Amino acid sequence: MNIDFAPELEAFRAEVADFFASAPTPAIREAGRKTTSVFAPFKECMEWHRILFEKGWIAPHWPAEHGGTGWSVEQRFIFAEEYRKADLPPLLPQSLGMVGPLLIDIGTQAQKDRYLPDILNGNDFWAQGYSEPGSGSDLASLSCRAEPDGDDYVINGSKIWTTYAHHANRMFMLVRTSKEGKKQQGITFLLLDRMDYPGMDVRPIVGLDGFPEQCEVFFDNVRVPQSGRVGEENDGWSVAKHLLKHERGGGNAASPTLTRYCQRAREAAAETRSPFGGMLADDPVFQQEMGELEADIATLGHFEKLAISGHEIARDPAFPSMNKTMNSELVQRASTVMMQVSGVDGLARQLEALRVGSNVEPLGSEFDLISMPLYLNSRATTIYAGSNEVQRDLIARTAVGS
Amino acid sequence: MDFSFTDEQQMLRDSVGKFLEKSYDFDTRQELVRSDAPWSAEAWQQFAEFGLLALPFSEDQGGLGGSISDCVAFAELFGKHLVVEPYVASILLGGTALAVSANESAQQWLEKVQSGEAIAGFAFEEGRGTPALDQTRMVATPADGSFTLTGEKRTVMAGAEADILVVVARKGETGEPALFVVEQGSDGFAARSFTTIDGRSAANIMFEAVPALEITDDRELIERILNHAIIVHCAEAVGAMSALLSTTGEYAMTRKQFGVPIGSFQAVAHRLADMKIAYTKARSTLIYTTALVESGAASSRDIAILKGQTGKLGQAIGEAAIQTHGGVGMTDELNVSHYHKRLLALDAQFGAHGFHLRMVGQG
Repeated sequence: MNIDFAPELEAFRAEVADFFASAPTPAIREAGRKTTSVFAPFKECMEWHRILFEKGWIAPHWPAEHGGTGWSVEQRFIFAEEYRKADLPPLLPQSLGMVGPLLIDIGTQAQKDRYLPDILNGNDFWAQGYSEPGSGSDLASLSCRAEPDGDDYVINGSKIWTTYAHHANRMFMLVRTSKEGKKQQGITFLLLDRMDYPGMDVRPIVGLDGFPEQCEVFFDNVRVPQSGRVGEENDGWSVAKHLLKHERGGGNAASPTLTRYCQRAREAAAETRSPFGGMLADDPVFQQEMGELEADIATLGHFEKLAISGHEIARDPAFPSMNKTMNSELVQRASTVMMQVSGVDGLARQLEALRVGSNVEPLGSEFDLISMPLYLNSRATTIYAGSNEVQRDLIARTAVGS
Repeated sequence: MDFSFTDEQQMLRDSVGKFLEKSYDFDTRQELVRSDAPWSAEAWQQFAEFGLLALPFSEDQGGLGGSISDCVAFAELFGKHLVVEPYVASILLGGTALAVSANESAQQWLEKVQSGEAIAGFAFEEGRGTPALDQTRMVATPADGSFTLTGEKRTVMAGAEADILVVVARKGETGEPALFVVEQGSDGFAARSFTTIDGRSAANIMFEAVPALEITDDRELIERILNHAIIVHCAEAVGAMSALLSTTGEYAMTRKQFGVPIGSFQAVAHRLADMKIAYTKARSTLIYTTALVESGAASSRDIAILKGQTGKLGQAIGEAAIQTHGGVGMTDELNVSHYHKRLLALDAQFGAHGFHLRMVGQG
């Protein structure tokens, strides 16, 4: 066993930290500080995406021949760590983390040539069309229908919880192409070139923080070319499962973000008087709560480092589910602590002050501005990407005989 | 022993409930919250007609001589309907504080507050870490036989709209907390108003040598006023919890995944069971503590148990309701998150559950 990073890696760390200190514009930094969910403010996030692309650092987890950086696992980890420390807007996962890697794995050459460059350079943003009003945890029951017609499919139905569909110019989605056999067997995976096909309608949904992040997407006889299919017709379930692995974690360190939340909570607590005397940061009850939380975050970090190093623990079939469960519940716990530190100062609804570039001063500190929206949005972490109930069912099935 | 509502209280509940069912449905409430109006003048007028605005005041002050259990009787319904009108601020805090003042102008204000012509406010908390009287930092400086107030008060309900404000401040740097009266628009008074996450109008207020009249420095009296407000807040919270429990139970039995209602899955069923247990605990504590207060036997520890339990259980119920609803629970459109936000706000005001439970633990 060896825990050390080679010495030349420290030089790499310094290079990354320097770039993060100098490259982002003030608006990008503001967007990073005002990110109150897993999805950063769109416009600034894509500006930052393009800066990273210019630098050649946009896709550390992609193979080098497809535009990846060719870094070692240690370098990728250092990059992720420095990234979180710098409070930068997290890159949006749909294109870079989901459909890109999927196309690299199983897309046709034509699909790779057509789509990968614009994912990398930030010209494209892809929405993910999986859930439907009647199909959430039970994703395989989806009923949005695609009928073959000549060289096209004709789509009818709707998708829901389609993050940033109102910003997207492309979409990948699951459709039902057959009602024969088991429900998993009639699903097809499609790529849509546009979000404005005739008959397509995107409607944003306002979330708990007052901002539209999710959308509903309606399809009324929408005609799309069959060349957008990934994999075989009716074999979309195995394609989707392949992709869920990307969505549920692995290789994308979350513990630095959680550590950052704890730092923020501690900084705020250091400026907050405890009703029991002294400052909240010195309060033993607060310290114990932080201790329990930070120990769990440290443990998640250990788990992530093992996974990144290629340890067998990450080859466990339950790994993505365990990672997702731990991470999502820690995001909730950390943001709950933040919300509780803010107390009454977190009760104001401040939509304008939260908007990047609004120049509206928050009522109190920036911490109080973001703690409540972060807490509210984090209620979704145990719901999306397969609710934690479903994850635990999956984990339980692997617990026997492991 | 009898902990049920009296026939009269039940009648009051019925009539307030009927009005709210008819005129305060969720969609109407949301329109109101999104409008520029801080609350509904019509609803306030209706509350006046029900006698709610005069309820807690003695008959010789023009009131109805009602009890705290009278307030609890309808406050549960306020919580169930997410009422945004400033009942606790104007009547139970501002109003009852004015009622202890012998000052003639305070009495005149009280008349107007009871009739609904004027709104009273109560400026107490000063932001993070100031949940109780002992953390009051604002100072009242003696000046020409009266006082001036300097400092900041935060999250003052109806702070920008209140015609008259009762303010908690210390008499001198080391003095005891006392209550003072300030008129809206006095020199040196600057309110920055906002809407809270649960749809109520509030303000952060800066005081710069604002002239103020003292009402009282009788600590027991001030605590009684605060405790009554806390109980009514807890009643609202329990009402919100009941709505979440029934909504979530219904959803779990009708929403199907994997071909069956999700409520048939043990993970969901047990969460519903825990929600029901939590609600039952909160309501039992509310009703028993109300009876204790009514009999004059409640200690500060009893109040801390109620506030601590209600806050903790309310947050748990709200989070469980959102999780059980899944994605739709994360939308602004559905009422679930709005109940949760109300519960969070009620918890945060007058000391969140962590504070009160620790007070209980201190013995």
